[in-house]
Amino acid sequence: MFLQAIEDTGFSTWLRESESPFAFYFILLFHTFGLALLVGANAVVDLRLLGVARAIPLAPLKRLFRIMWIGFAMNAVTGILLVFAYPTKALTNFDFYIKLALIGFAVWVMQRLKSEVFEDSSLTEESMTARGAILAKWSLFLWFGAITAGRLLAYTYKYLTFPS
Amino acid sequence: MNFAHLHLLLNHFPIIGTMVGLGLFLISLLGKNEDLRRASLIIFPAMALLAIPTFFSGTGAQSAIRKTPGVSEALIERHQGAAMLALLFMEITGALALVGLWKSHGISRPARWNWSLSAILIFSIVTVGLMARVGTTGGDIRHPEIGSGQEEVTEGLMLSKWIHEMEPSPARVADLMTANKWWWAFMMDLHFVGLVLLIGTVGILDLRMLGFAKQIPIDPLHRLVPWAMAGFGLNLVTGVLAFTGMDQYYTYDVAFWLKMLAIMLLGLNVAAFYLTGAFDSVEGLGPGDDAPPLAKFIAATSLFLWFTVITLGRYIQSFADTISVHK
Repeated sequence: MFLQAIEDTGFSTWLRESESPFAFYFILLFHTFGLALLVGANAVVDLRLLGVARAIPLAPLKRLFRIMWIGFAMNAVTGILLVFAYPTKALTNFDFYIKLALIGFAVWVMQRLKSEVFEDSSLTEESMTARGAILAKWSLFLWFGAITAGRLLAYTYKYLTFPS
Repeated sequence: MNFAHLHLLLNHFPIIGTMVGLGLFLISLLGKNEDLRRASLIIFPAMALLAIPTFFSGTGAQSAIRKTPGVSEALIERHQGAAMLALLFMEITGALALVGLWKSHGISRPARWNWSLSAILIFSIVTVGLMARVGTTGGDIRHPEIGSGQEEVTEGLMLSKWIHEMEPSPARVADLMTANKWWWAFMMDLHFVGLVLLIGTVGILDLRMLGFAKQIPIDPLHRLVPWAMAGFGLNLVTGVLAFTGMDQYYTYDVAFWLKMLAIMLLGLNVAAFYLTGAFDSVEGLGPGDDAPPLAKFIAATSLFLWFTVITLGRYIQSFADTISVHK
């Protein structure tokens, strides 16, 4: 079976079973770093669009999208590695697909924020806020959902590894 | 060194520190002395921060003397309950003092009486009282010279009986935390949400000082700090609850204690930022302005320490049982 084949590879076994602090927990650590960068930066942009710290000029916040993409790239790579370590655990859990869907939507909202609010230089701050407010609410909601679904992966799995 | 040493080393600070803080606060109110008031408002959050590892070191200290003849479990439990209630009020006092400092920023004359000063006054008085009780009940556990040696919980005064009724039972709190795995999962979820709020806001302020996105003026960015404090508060509450739920697990974990050390160093970092003039030097920086080296150094230290905190937190699980003293 496909899941078993992945688990049987040396790399997957090493990630899962190594006592080294640079195996599984190291990947998990960078998954958390990526989360902090991606959602941390996005949440600040969302909060600003929703009226927090209004004195911050909106236009230069465009730079924060680069941080978000760095965080996203880190989490795509580390996320794939985590699935590689425990393919059965992730892929047999419905919550995993909910998490992926929430991330998909959240990244789509993030892209729309960037293109519709921050890349249209004809907009005034007021119209940027008007356009961005609803997207910002969705963004906060979806990221909260994605974090929650991700946390729940540690508590909801049916199989840790392929049942023998 | 064992946890009893650590507990004794730390536990005098929150008790005596809050008394000193309250004394200075009262004098500052009577004498309308602004500098003194600022000093007292800095002491409260500092003690609130130190109270956290003090509380955590109690579990290990308990294990250190548990098998000693004449040490009563009932007295230890009473001390734990007293410590929990005092910690709650200590943290509220610390948070209120930060609100007071935030509100008085930029005002050089003594602020007029307002709700935050009244709240600080009330909560700090209650905290001093509860802290005194923590000290007393802790002393009762093992200090033969004050005639401790008793086995049963006896409350001499009406007031102490009444407070004792209000004190949570640590065993009950631990049960509440661990009985339901979804509740535990929810607490951990909130701990991550707090992390995101904290790192998002502080991280961006730090990066700006280091020269990233220089078009953003610093003062408006600094207004995100209350959100960072909210994130920290969320993580303080969920963290203390998690510790109480599985105190044996965290106590013997080296990553956990290093994380606490990093958080204490972050307290120093924040103090350095606001008290050495670094904040004053960056507050007025507009678009394109460069921060001076001291502010950059403090910002870099802050970023490094926050990512260290995340790192150590993530490694708690894999560093379980790495401390073996008197277990």
